[in-house]
Amino acid sequence: MERRGVVVVDPPLSGIINMEKDDALLANATPDSPIVVRLYRWSEPTLSLGHFQEIEGRSEVAGLENASWVRRRTGGGAILHDFELTYSVVIPDVGDKVLKGHSESLYRSVHLTLADELRRLGWDANLSEECTCSTSPNRNSEPFLCFSRRSPVDLLVGPYKIMGSAQRRTSKGLLQHGSLLLRHSPLTPGLAGLLDIERTRGADMRGESTRVVFAGRRVAGPVEMTSTDVPAGQSVIDRGEELLATESVHSGQHESDLHSLSFWVELLTSVLKRSVETEVRCRWES
Amino acid sequence: MSISPEQLRYLESHEWAYVSDQAAGVVTIGISAFAVEQLTDLVFMALPKVGQEVSAGAEFGEVESVKAVSPMYSPVSGTVVEVNSGLVDRLESLNVDPYNDGWIMKVKMSDSSDLAGLLDWVSYKHQCDHA
Repeated sequence: MERRGVVVVDPPLSGIINMEKDDALLANATPDSPIVVRLYRWSEPTLSLGHFQEIEGRSEVAGLENASWVRRRTGGGAILHDFELTYSVVIPDVGDKVLKGHSESLYRSVHLTLADELRRLGWDANLSEECTCSTSPNRNSEPFLCFSRRSPVDLLVGPYKIMGSAQRRTSKGLLQHGSLLLRHSPLTPGLAGLLDIERTRGADMRGESTRVVFAGRRVAGPVEMTSTDVPAGQSVIDRGEELLATESVHSGQHESDLHSLSFWVELLTSVLKRSVETEVRCRWES
Repeated sequence: MSISPEQLRYLESHEWAYVSDQAAGVVTIGISAFAVEQLTDLVFMALPKVGQEVSAGAEFGEVESVKAVSPMYSPVSGTVVEVNSGLVDRLESLNVDPYNDGWIMKVKMSDSSDLAGLLDWVSYKHQCDHA
């Protein structure tokens, strides 16, 4: 069976619209729908709560009292979307009711693939392999913020969590959300982003091992991905370039590439496409 | 009396049903050990309310594992007559005994023929073994 896929890169949108878009992708999914990989940012710093989280929990984090917020359909902890890149993946169900719950292999695959790319770039990236989760009576015993929590498949650079993902499964399919924290937010200064963290070794940004080339990296498989056009002048890339270029914590040749949001959009798109293709081929199609 | 998985009927989506009061047409419902294993660490469960109407194959509640939210589907149609409300505070009991202490709700069936459409243990186990 051949399954189609599409990549959508949206301009920054409000929290409500961002979540409505993902909800609609899942709600309208049919076995014939394409797999959708969506990358986006937020038009203002916004707190997204895990599906069952209560907004009162934000009082445990100073500075978030007045932040805009929205609720995700996916589980997990709250995320402050500021200097970060968000993705969603919607994989329509094709009639199997095999798995209840999450498909850990998908976010493990995404995180492992990204960890590999980050190590090539010189960061000490690994999966967490630890857990702050608990089946204690009080589900609020875990930290309010996703990036303060640890689950075994979270992506860490050194001690810092820089990517987390969460899922929702319905009869229509699987929705996976994820967030790549690029830089700390003034609202959550204790949470370091990737570009706040020193690389442990240099990387040759001109070398093939550090470049992302979709054609060369693409795993031939049943999922055909195509990129949609991003409207000029209002893309996430245009706005992000300004945001990320405000400061440089690295030194070295070609560091400017790392401070380009377009670099991270391209890298994360490549990671997601490869992970989804592998997952679909190994799991959904088996 | 302890319920064993061999006595139950199942939905493909891993909910089980047991006729706990034949005369009253009441079915006890929960999720299987296989589902609990797949979900891994459970952190929250949204339960139905007593008096709520449920439909066979339709969602009646939600369960959250470490980072995933999943629906739970009712094997039968009818009215919820009892809910294991304490379960939310001891979700670990689902890991220990999902068929007894981990029951979720009891439903007074509106149509007992719903049971005929469910999988027996052998069929359900076959599904899980080949998942």
